[in-house]
Amino acid sequence: MRGFTISDFLTMLAAVQWTATLVVLALAFGAPLALLLARMCTGRSRIARLVATGILQLVQGVPVLGLLMFFYFGMPVFLGIKVPALVSVGAAFTIFTAAFLGEIWRGGIQAVHVAQGEAAACLGLTRWQTFRHVIAPQAFRIALPATVGFLVQLIKNTSLASVVGFVELARAGQLASAATFQPLLSYACVAAIYFALCFPLTLWSRSLEDKLNGAR
Amino acid sequence: MALVEISNVHKSFGEVEVLRGIDLTVEKGEIVTIIGRSGSGKSTLLRCINGLEQINGGEIKVAGELVHSRSTDLRKLREHVGIVFQQFNLFPHMTVARNITLAPVLTGKIAKGDAARELARKVLAQVGLEEKIDAYPGQLSGGQQQRVAIARCLAMSPYLMLFDEVTSALDPELVGEVLKVMEDLATQGMTMILVTHEMNFARNVASKLVFMHAGMVHEEGRPADLFANPATPELANFISSVR
Ligand SMILES: Nc1ncnc2c1ncn2[C@@H]1O[C@H](COP(=O)(O)OP(=O)(O)O)[C@@H](O)[C@H]1O
Ligand SMILES: [Mg+2]
Repeated sequence: MRGFTISDFLTMLAAVQWTATLVVLALAFGAPLALLLARMCTGRSRIARLVATGILQLVQGVPVLGLLMFFYFGMPVFLGIKVPALVSVGAAFTIFTAAFLGEIWRGGIQAVHVAQGEAAACLGLTRWQTFRHVIAPQAFRIALPATVGFLVQLIKNTSLASVVGFVELARAGQLASAATFQPLLSYACVAAIYFALCFPLTLWSRSLEDKLNGAR
Repeated sequence: MALVEISNVHKSFGEVEVLRGIDLTVEKGEIVTIIGRSGSGKSTLLRCINGLEQINGGEIKVAGELVHSRSTDLRKLREHVGIVFQQFNLFPHMTVARNITLAPVLTGKIAKGDAARELARKVLAQVGLEEKIDAYPGQLSGGQQQRVAIARCLAMSPYLMLFDEVTSALDPELVGEVLKVMEDLATQGMTMILVTHEMNFARNVASKLVFMHAGMVHEEGRPADLFANPATPELANFISSVR
């Protein structure tokens, strides 16, 4: 047994890079999917609407831990190959992000008045041009506070990856706790780091919301 | 050939038949004013003319082209058929200049940059708002917003303009400036179909007056004739109710 030292803390800080990696992966792959789902939900095709709404409902109804287990244990079975933990965990958070951001952005798109889209169509714009120049900028502004709020949820939820042994911030805390027998101190450090990451985002999200409400 | 030929158009929303066999022709250069009670289908008719609404029967031809035919490129058609709404529907996140030039640039009518700005200036001059070129819609009065909306249509150089109660959402003192712009357009020979409750405009500027009632063209003719001698009690009632 050894005492809790600054190097334990530094190890935890270093593990933040894996938390960050998960967040970046989830956003890089999840955000485009979210956009696609949001577009499908608000589009003209009935089938696309049904499919996208179904996916959103399904994924939102499953706990993140369930997604994680499904991809971690399921991918090797269904794909027949062993994949690195980063891939399966990354896939789980990608799906999580796609569903929740998809729902947030769907709301944003639907909050833009239909008359805006009609006005654009009446000027001869294509559906894509209408979305790109008229709907999306307004929807984005409306959805930005909730989007930043989701980012906080995503950062905190990556701690669940520790359950399958993926070493990110929370798992680094577990390891330090086990090595030093100082669970309280170890987890206090973990909590402090999560807080330091999330609190500024929460503040930002709030100020965005105030701005949006003020602008109306 | 008339610019707009509407024959026997039927339109239902669910079970409710809103247009019940509309016939109307509009020649090039004509100013047609549609009046009628709220719910008589005036807005719906305008929205059918530029293909915003599907129809359930009959046909509408604009410049010889069937609006509701599968082979018609609605986008191309709409580049030439402007519509102005009661609620302006400007894009709130864009400046006046960008509101005006967005469609001409995206549809390839004009290049981005100086040429686009020149176009914005030109159409804003037509509605008397050059100094607002860099303002946002939220900074303008209702009357100014509506004039920008008209300028936005003009930037596409339409050969037909549709106006749906464009002064109804305005404070009374702002109505005049918008009507003035429309009168100027009329003088310049623009073909216009407009729904309005401004009876003076209907009487003095329109070349044809159409009274819609219960989803049909109940009466049509020269404004002076209809106002002086309404042939049906419905029109007579309507005229006395808006006086
Ligand atoms: N999108 C719609 N869905 C269902 N009913 C509609 C729709 N648009 C209009 N209506 C109905 O059609 C009728 C005619 O409406 P409208 O054309 O707006 O009349 P007006 O412009 O003459 O007041 C009204 O009874 C209205 O409730
Ligand atoms: Mg109406």
